[in-house]
Amino acid sequence: MTGKSLGLVFFPAFDWAITPSHPEREERLLYTRDQIVEEGLLDLPAIREYRPRLAQIQDAERVHIGVPDIASLITDAHLVSAGGAITAAEAVMHREVNRAFALVRPPGHHAMRVVHGTRGFCTINIEAIMVEYLRRYYGLNRVAIVDTDVHHGDGTQDIFYHDPDTLFISFHQDGRTLYPGTGAIHEMGSPGALCSTVNIPLPPGTTDAGLHYVLDNLVLPVLEDFKPDIIINSAGQDNHYSDPLANMAVTAQGYALLAEKLKADIAVLEGGYSIEDALPYVNTGIILAMAGLDYSRVIEPDIARCPRQSDANTRYIAKLVTEWQEIWHARNKLRHEAVAKAGDFWQRRRGIYYDDSGIQEQRTETVRLCPRCHGYLTISTQAEGYPFGRKSAFAAIIPRNACPVCRNQAHDAVQKAKKEGRHDHCFIQDKDKDTLEHI
Amino acid sequence: MLLGIDVGGTFTDAVVIRNGKILASAKTPTTHYELLNGIITAIDKVLAKINLREVKRVALSTTIVTNALVEGKIDKVALLLLPGPGLNLAGLTPAQPYFLSGYTDHRGREQAAPVKDEVVAVCREIKDCKAVAVAGKFAVRNPAQEQVVAGWAGECLKPAHITLGAELSGALNYLRRVNSAYYNSAVWRIFTNFAVAIEAALAERGVAAPVYILKADGGTLPLAAAKARPVEAIFTGPAASVLGIMALAAPEGPAVSLDIGGTTTDIALWQNGAPLFAPGGARVNGFPTAVRSFWLRSVGVGGDSYVRRENGRIAVGPMRRGPAMANGGPEPAVTDALIVAGLIDYGDVALARQAMTKVAATGQTPEDAAWEALRTAADIVCQAIRDMLAEQAAMPVYKVEDIVYGEKFIPKLVIGVGGAALGLAPLVAEQMELPWQVPPGHMVANAVGAASARQTTEITLRADTAQGFYTVPELGIKRDIDRRRFTLDDAWAAADNHLAERAAAGGLTEATCHSERLYEEEFNVIRGFNTIGKIITCKLQLKPGVLTQVTAQEVGQ
Repeated sequence: MTGKSLGLVFFPAFDWAITPSHPEREERLLYTRDQIVEEGLLDLPAIREYRPRLAQIQDAERVHIGVPDIASLITDAHLVSAGGAITAAEAVMHREVNRAFALVRPPGHHAMRVVHGTRGFCTINIEAIMVEYLRRYYGLNRVAIVDTDVHHGDGTQDIFYHDPDTLFISFHQDGRTLYPGTGAIHEMGSPGALCSTVNIPLPPGTTDAGLHYVLDNLVLPVLEDFKPDIIINSAGQDNHYSDPLANMAVTAQGYALLAEKLKADIAVLEGGYSIEDALPYVNTGIILAMAGLDYSRVIEPDIARCPRQSDANTRYIAKLVTEWQEIWHARNKLRHEAVAKAGDFWQRRRGIYYDDSGIQEQRTETVRLCPRCHGYLTISTQAEGYPFGRKSAFAAIIPRNACPVCRNQAHDAVQKAKKEGRHDHCFIQDKDKDTLEHI
Repeated sequence: MLLGIDVGGTFTDAVVIRNGKILASAKTPTTHYELLNGIITAIDKVLAKINLREVKRVALSTTIVTNALVEGKIDKVALLLLPGPGLNLAGLTPAQPYFLSGYTDHRGREQAAPVKDEVVAVCREIKDCKAVAVAGKFAVRNPAQEQVVAGWAGECLKPAHITLGAELSGALNYLRRVNSAYYNSAVWRIFTNFAVAIEAALAERGVAAPVYILKADGGTLPLAAAKARPVEAIFTGPAASVLGIMALAAPEGPAVSLDIGGTTTDIALWQNGAPLFAPGGARVNGFPTAVRSFWLRSVGVGGDSYVRRENGRIAVGPMRRGPAMANGGPEPAVTDALIVAGLIDYGDVALARQAMTKVAATGQTPEDAAWEALRTAADIVCQAIRDMLAEQAAMPVYKVEDIVYGEKFIPKLVIGVGGAALGLAPLVAEQMELPWQVPPGHMVANAVGAASARQTTEITLRADTAQGFYTVPELGIKRDIDRRRFTLDDAWAAADNHLAERAAAGGLTEATCHSERLYEEEFNVIRGFNTIGKIITCKLQLKPGVLTQVTAQEVGQ
């Protein structure tokens, strides 16, 4: 250790935007840059700034199946953003710093395993790419991702839904009141990975008090039980009371205290669209907290605007937490029951809307509940939209440490789909061989 | 005719330059405790055969500020801060600050007003302070609060000097501006006294030319202006040598320069004919400041570096045990190795051989020992160069195109100046597999640099069309603009005008206005989904550089 405790990858991508007035635009981290440079944070001995590297297409294809391919769906900015997350992670893995924060854009937590376009400002999932990179090159196994963005991290959930080694915890504004609409308690992972997805949908108007109640009574104990090799914070900052896209009431102090308690090894920026009134303060608070410095003076000038939590919300949150505590305690029993009930295969069908690209996708996902490994997965997907047209694909995914039976069946499934010819594209993704083949 | 004086750690050098030629040079020992004496002696020596009336310009690179800081001969400063919300500065500044209410946000909007009663109460507490420094967070976006507080402190304390942070630097970085403002006030008195004495001494000798002080960024300031910003006169020695290289060697392509002195080698990286600047600014006594300076790395390898055998291998520096044995010193030094290796012809060869015999391994000839020592010395310098190049490659950038298309800095030339340059620079170049150059006059490069340095100054203009104003913090300006019509071009035009004004106000009268655009940035301000204005930032400077290229026939002693 060089005495540096926080590695910071700061990459505002000042030359990239979805559109000039889109919330995810060039100046999204402008005021944050102003604040952290003005504070002198980059001169502090406890903070070391890193220049992001460019991720490779293969790093993205370790996670995603792009239709027709991921390279044609992304820009260089996406590879820098994913590369920034990897740079942050490697600074921690090499023990150059205690923790790291990738303050990068564009974000990624709405990007699912199959990618047809951009949804929720995300095209590739930068945390998932980082996690699979760490598994590939650093032999990590048990990973916990805590998604603190106000929007449900549906992409990350999708990618790890069948993986019992990845604990995905997301608290967010209730999907009944906010994009993307998912993230209910009952979405707990497929039977073989039941309870490795923990969704905590919070009522609009939740404040620091509500957030920390959830953290202290549910998130931290669950992490304690799971015993991850590494904790990753999907650090969305749109729970802030001034965020224009959501309705929560968390402050910079609330976020900084969260960062202090969570002790994430790596944080990766996700959302946060109050670019002037929240991001400069929230980011400064998180940076100071992660670096082990005093953040008590980071207070928004308009803090008086922040509403108080209603009693009804306080009661609702307490009930929600109790419900989850009970589920968590019964998780082994629940998983056995779910596996027994499902039989050999578990299947789900759903529609996915790409709000940025205007694409509607129908997806069928089938996972083999294998007694010897995590089970292979097949996905059949059809997507259409104007002027996008129609595209379809079939993919089989062979998980890490797959058993020979799953491996063979996955190959057979793709060959069969190819022969039937109902899909435009067929893929096989092999996690052990680290390949994505277009069949 | 230009007179340049460089006060070094060991020697004070003076040169007179006419039409790009070194006309005279002089070297006298530096008189650390009475700096002025050595300077005057050097001036008298170098001007002995010169018509004083022909001297048009005197430029001085002096250690007065650096020494005052190192020796702690600085004044007590009342450090008044308007920190607003953010980092807790307690323990991060060189002196205990007084925290005041009042806060300007990142767009230059006043979020809380300063309170006069607080300032009055603080002033009562610090009655004995003759120097004050005031710094407000985001004062570079709106200097009004700093000015108001300075006004109140002036009324209450009647101090000899008040420094405003935003006037020292227009760049964001509050911590650095706080530290700069503090040091500026702390060295103000000692520098002012020195400046007055220099002026008097020159006047006594009949030198009527204007006097300039070299800055850490290689520019010069008229003495009068330097009195207001003395902190900029730190670390001028290395800056002088860099300017000397510019005058003597004029490197165009990417290059590495080495100023190889008695105890250290100062390394600088060059691009497009100018050395790279330290990101953020110089460090003073370990504190980061906003003082612009060249990006230099100093390693403990020079002609006098101690050479010995440690655990079977030859070790060089970083300490010095006096001069080389060939020059009457007590222990082997790099210079002894250079003599034995036949790279320089200087000093007592027999004593140098004795020195190398002393460090030779069993069965090793003195020549082989000398070469081993020189390779070791070159290794240390090369490693430092590689570290700098790696740091340069890792320098953060904030645009996608800079990551994808950014070009790597690869030096194409090694330039050496200073006493041991002819011996060591070629060895370093050989290891880096690069060509090398040691220009004539390299022994007095620092004084040449001081003599020929041009004035520099920098301004930052930031317009916020949504709010309808722009600020130029270095000039303490905040001015209204047309919200709908003001463009980036208007911003540059205004910046050009203000730079010219600043140059004139600072007495920068020479016709050397090589202004250069350092940086521009333009962002939309959006409310809902509508663009309601733009934030425009322009940075403009009078480029550091030399008034004239200098050629030297032979090395002046």
